[in-house]
Amino acid sequence: MSTYNYVVTAHKPTNVTHSCVGNFTGPQELNLIIAKCTRIEIHLLTPQGLQPMLDVPIYGRIATLELFRPHGETQDLLFIATERYKFCVLQWDAEANEVITRAMGDVSDRIGRPTDNGQIGIIDPDCRLIGLHLYDGLFKVIPFDNKGQLKEAFNIRLEELQVLDIKFLYGCPKPTIVVLYQDNKDARHVKTYEVSLKDKDFVEGPWSQNNLDNGADLLIPVPPPFCGVLIIGEETIVYCSASAFKAIPIRPSITRAYGRVDADGSRYLLGDHSGLLHLLVIAHEKEKVTGLKIELLGETSIASTISYLDNAFVYVGSSYGDSQLVKLNLQPDTKGSYVEVLERYVNLGPIVDFCVVDLERQGQGQVVTCSGAYKDGSLRIVRNGIGINEQASVELQGIKGMWSLRSATDDIYDTFLVVSFISETRILAMNLEDELEETEIEGFCSQVQTLFCHDAIHNQLVQVTSSSVRLVSSSSGELRNEWHAPSDYSINVATANATQVLLATRGGHLVYLEIGDGVLEEKKHAELKYDISCLDINPIGDNPNYSNLAAVGMWTDISVKIFSLPDLNLITEEQLGGEIIPRSVLLCAFEGIPYLLCALGDGHLLNFLLNTSTGELTDRKKVSLGTQPITLRTFSSKSTTHVFAASDRPTVIYSSNKKLLYSNVNLKEVSHMCPFNSAAFPDSLAIAKEGELTIGTIDDIQKLHIRSIPLGEHARRICHQEQSRTFAICSLKYNQSSTEDAEMHFIRLLDDQTFDFISTYSLDQFEYGCSILNCSFSDDNNAYYCVGTAYVMPEENEPTKGRILVFMVEDGKLQLVAEKETKGAVYSLNAFNGKLLAAINQKIQLYKWMLRDDGTRELQSECGHHGHILALYVQTRGDFIVVGDLMKSISLLIYKHEEGAIEERARDYNANWMSAVEILDDDIYLGAENNFNLFTVRKNSEGATDEERGRLEVVGEYHLGEFVNRFQHGSLVMRLPDSDVGKIPTIIFGTVNGVIGVIASLPQDQYVFMERLQTNLRKVIKGVGGLSHEQWRSFYSEKKTVDSRNFLDGDLIESFLDLGRSRMEEIAKSMSVSVEELMKRVEELTRLH
Amino acid sequence: MWKEIGDRQSGKLRPSSFITRIRSNRVSSLQLSNHKEIVSPHRGSINSLQVDLTEGRYLLSGAADASLAIYDIQRATDQEGGGLIAKHKPILHVDKQHQNGHKYAISTAIWYPVDTGLFVTGSYDHHINVWDTNSSQVVMDFKMPGKVHRTAMSALATSHMLIAAATEDVQVRLCDMASGAFSHTLSGHRDGVMAVEWSTCSEWVLMTGGCDGAIRFWDIRRAGCFAVLDQSHSQLGRRPPVLERSTTKVSTSKSSSPGQPSSSRSRPPPKKATSGSGGRVLRQAKGSAKQRLHPGLLSSQDRATAHYGAVIALKPTEDGMYLLSAGSDSRLRLWDIQSGCNTLVHFEIVRLQSNKAIQLAVTQDSALVFVPCMTSVKAFDVWSGKTSTTLQGHYEHVNCCWYNPHDQELFTGGNDRQILIWSPPKFISQDVDDEDNWSD
Repeated sequence: MSTYNYVVTAHKPTNVTHSCVGNFTGPQELNLIIAKCTRIEIHLLTPQGLQPMLDVPIYGRIATLELFRPHGETQDLLFIATERYKFCVLQWDAEANEVITRAMGDVSDRIGRPTDNGQIGIIDPDCRLIGLHLYDGLFKVIPFDNKGQLKEAFNIRLEELQVLDIKFLYGCPKPTIVVLYQDNKDARHVKTYEVSLKDKDFVEGPWSQNNLDNGADLLIPVPPPFCGVLIIGEETIVYCSASAFKAIPIRPSITRAYGRVDADGSRYLLGDHSGLLHLLVIAHEKEKVTGLKIELLGETSIASTISYLDNAFVYVGSSYGDSQLVKLNLQPDTKGSYVEVLERYVNLGPIVDFCVVDLERQGQGQVVTCSGAYKDGSLRIVRNGIGINEQASVELQGIKGMWSLRSATDDIYDTFLVVSFISETRILAMNLEDELEETEIEGFCSQVQTLFCHDAIHNQLVQVTSSSVRLVSSSSGELRNEWHAPSDYSINVATANATQVLLATRGGHLVYLEIGDGVLEEKKHAELKYDISCLDINPIGDNPNYSNLAAVGMWTDISVKIFSLPDLNLITEEQLGGEIIPRSVLLCAFEGIPYLLCALGDGHLLNFLLNTSTGELTDRKKVSLGTQPITLRTFSSKSTTHVFAASDRPTVIYSSNKKLLYSNVNLKEVSHMCPFNSAAFPDSLAIAKEGELTIGTIDDIQKLHIRSIPLGEHARRICHQEQSRTFAICSLKYNQSSTEDAEMHFIRLLDDQTFDFISTYSLDQFEYGCSILNCSFSDDNNAYYCVGTAYVMPEENEPTKGRILVFMVEDGKLQLVAEKETKGAVYSLNAFNGKLLAAINQKIQLYKWMLRDDGTRELQSECGHHGHILALYVQTRGDFIVVGDLMKSISLLIYKHEEGAIEERARDYNANWMSAVEILDDDIYLGAENNFNLFTVRKNSEGATDEERGRLEVVGEYHLGEFVNRFQHGSLVMRLPDSDVGKIPTIIFGTVNGVIGVIASLPQDQYVFMERLQTNLRKVIKGVGGLSHEQWRSFYSEKKTVDSRNFLDGDLIESFLDLGRSRMEEIAKSMSVSVEELMKRVEELTRLH
Repeated sequence: MWKEIGDRQSGKLRPSSFITRIRSNRVSSLQLSNHKEIVSPHRGSINSLQVDLTEGRYLLSGAADASLAIYDIQRATDQEGGGLIAKHKPILHVDKQHQNGHKYAISTAIWYPVDTGLFVTGSYDHHINVWDTNSSQVVMDFKMPGKVHRTAMSALATSHMLIAAATEDVQVRLCDMASGAFSHTLSGHRDGVMAVEWSTCSEWVLMTGGCDGAIRFWDIRRAGCFAVLDQSHSQLGRRPPVLERSTTKVSTSKSSSPGQPSSSRSRPPPKKATSGSGGRVLRQAKGSAKQRLHPGLLSSQDRATAHYGAVIALKPTEDGMYLLSAGSDSRLRLWDIQSGCNTLVHFEIVRLQSNKAIQLAVTQDSALVFVPCMTSVKAFDVWSGKTSTTLQGHYEHVNCCWYNPHDQELFTGGNDRQILIWSPPKFISQDVDDEDNWSD
């Protein structure tokens, strides 16, 4: 049963909805604050660029983000209002480096209808009041008192119901708003009102202006000395104040965002719907406005928000493409553009459709999204884990160990790669042709297995074999010294750094050697109780060549011991518990914090915080990385040290925000790894896997990897065909040259490796691609792409004609093999029992694939089902059909083979306006609806009455706060069938804000446990601005608000791992489990995404 | 439609605006339903219709032959025309023969707002009955002093279970379902009361309209009524008029951007507004002489009228800001609830039934009001008063209408004993033949 669901974000929202600039974190610090729908990011402007300071979730969808500075404050405060009528005022606490809540509250009303054009929140420039337009006909005022504290709010009736924009005017003795509105004849006007705080009412304002541009919908208040307001229309821009009126015509465009350049308000940046950036200048003589001028600067992403930072640097936030940091140059470049894009910030939104594919056939899903819109449309390939880009590989069986060596101590590149086998050691080196060829180092013993190799000081190399330690000159290759193990005490394990060698022999003897110039000196010897399984003396102190500590893993008593060097005193001993011996230990430092990592034989990894002076081990954590023994190695990428854990599930361990993170490497099984930074293969790794030695570079170390394929057009639907190794998309291109709203629609075929367009089928005029499917039919082995279309006529309210096109890929070309006209838009296509199931307007129609006499094929309708308003989203499983209706929630249909008919079996009678549906299992169906909620319904086949059986019972409800466009079964991570997590079914979803999320159906006991954890976390983790998590996640619609049930917020649960130890313990105590157990269970869940 | 869906998907169209736009498109195309019919068992004129507020699934009708019926409007009992026309027969039918049935005409039948387990009927036999839906038995009844015209329960109420009853009597009584007794008796009207409605934004505010032409607002926590609507009290001239400085047209551009909604609500002429309680403003308007009186008594002396003749229907808009009233003077008026002002919107009504209470319906976004006008139902634009559509279908006078916002459907009942469904048209493709073309 999939009743119990866990919702977690794999990729955070990236759609930038708001941004503002001010001195938030300090009087002298300039900050850029960005809202990404449900998150805010605070950046600091530095000479090096934008430096992130804070990225926090907000328990609400941000409707308003404004900086303001009450009288007497030295830095700005941040006002946030959410779409669910909560607001808060935040202040920066410089000491704790976090935001604190100055004020918060609820501004919802019983009365009034929520505004249609979006909520407006504005702050008087003189900080006398906050104005909110949340409901039609009402203007809410939150006054400030003299001390800058907020007082009780009240409503003022606003006659203009169809309000387009409201702003405060500058330089008015009383707070004055200017309202842009539309009257009942669709004409647009502006009007001003003074807010009288005493009477709690409006007073007619100083001026008004009637009959503006029909497309006017943005007001820009102009600060002193000019004051007044700019009214941005589609064809004109007007400056208006009590004393002046200036207008200029502009090229027809819809201005979406503006940014003020100068504090005196004489220049503005305007971003329009096609991504063009203009500069608007108010020409003036002293303080008198004489006219307006507008100049095209260049092209950016389609802006949703523009913030002028400083020194011609501008942040362009976008909802439809990547957000950008641009520089405005004084001189145009060769293309006449003044805009130089310095940096791009990835935005996946809006994810209109996506598919889950396994292009590399490694058992790991990748998500290919249709992202962006208009000219910024693109495909994005989103992959979890770290990729290895193979540079070279050779077949080599039975590798037992690998080390890279340099030919001189101060050489920057590695020259030799020592590869050890069970009974020999081979040495590979780069030759003059930059090829890897086998060579010899004279002083090395190559007839036996090498246990360890390392560069040593004084241009020397160290080789440890089971019988001896050899010190060899790296330049000449001659043997300079050798230390022999006593006979009968062969060396089992060994480790070394540039100046030290530590080795363990049979019988639990630990021998410590130091390396001098041509000398190997035995410094200390210790005998331990049991045999030693692993060793490490990786230097983590100040001296990169010398370690003060040695870590030793033991057989038999299953422990890790820390010894001091050089005197080999035991300073710490940690029992690991269990019966699995440690197979690899590693001392390493991440972000300056020393850790001890200890890998066990069963694929688990323990990590401890290490006190380098006392050797004390604290904060033990255990995670499972795989199922086979792990070998740990450090490597560096982009001058940061990371750890590679080689096993059946290779993992890179790295640190971010002082927290250890585990990211899997997209390779199946790796037995050994060593960094190999040669001149021909810089920054590469040598990897031994399945009979192969590979040299390759590694991706950036981060969790999700996103590759962009810009299309220059808007992809709306995508699907993948395994047989032809292609993607097919429905896309549309906007023709910008003509003034008409000309769109061209295409079906395009893309290669699934190169993502090049390899074939295109143009749809008719007015014909839109609505759905696409890869399927095959019964009695036919070919794979087909089926495309459903609609003829969208300008005069028609609802399409009455469409087509189903069936394509085959032949020689990389789309070949139309069949075509069927439909009586409406084909909103959805599904493969169904070897037939094709289409949702056409309000009807579900089943087509079969018939062979005609002449050998060609055609679609023939078999049966259908009426009874929907619009059947927009359809999923099938067996004979069951789940339909998501435009406005009537989910219904369940069944196909009856004998009768050849489709009948309704059950339905959810709630009035949910659907945006996506998916089938979780035979009985439970998942839906996403218009108010950003998720819900699950259950089929009740055991109901006693027809009425009960005919009703889909709502079993789960949750407010996601994201508009879901698509669900797909699949997983972003490699699923190991034998792990617990591998058995949890998951669904991926994509949203308008660019979120990729995962919904996992948990077993009941795990759900109950996690629900308790969530309840406890709610008490400990307080929402930013004092917003309540419980309220935020409650199912919220026009009609009702109910607590969430049978859904868990994975983002909250996983934030447990970010808590300090004391708070973890507090929670563990109240749940009466150990912190380790809790962490283990939460970490398991983090592996779902 | 496809365009809107596409715009919603790419985040260009706000999901809430998407709903508003589709709803208003659909409601503007209402016509006699081509896919749904109600089989009325009534043998008298239909006086009252209501769809339950919880699921929008069960229609309750009350008729002059003392019968009542419930229909499942989501799930058809029969299909006709190859599954294209859904027939909805009553799933519950109670008539005079029923042991607890009313003796005379049922004038009002309403659902218990919280769930569909109970409903309430009022009849000319002076009784208000509370029914258990599942057992179809009367579980409580209230004896009223005269014929019952209307009953109302507050959909918002969380702290009371009161049935407000408008009867022939001058007093409005509140029947408490929790105790089975009258909890309030509201005095003020000088004649029988035809219409009663609860406020849609406060569970304590009740609005009543009487045969004396008065509309009174009551706060049931306080004594007396707190406002009496005056048809001559308009909001002209509260805020000083704007300087007629700039009437020059700035732009003559005709382009309409795709981002702008093309449909718009037209608004009544400028109105007065206030933020305080409406009662206070009215009292101030009455002059200082009366201010010494107890506020509850004050209004009882107020003889202001809302209509010439009886008030035969009331309907507050869902946002709680406006009230629509119909009078036997064949007028429909739109009132601003907070200020109690007549908005002076002129509705193009020709004639209304004048002898009995009628039932108005308003769309969710307050754009249209449906008014039974003799044998037709007219939809008026609330803000301009212009006729949007005239729904012709009944053969005799229409008494009641109910708008179901879930499906954008209108139900109307009349003296011809029919319940008609008006719905957005379904493009029923004539592909019945298409389905069976096995050959060729």
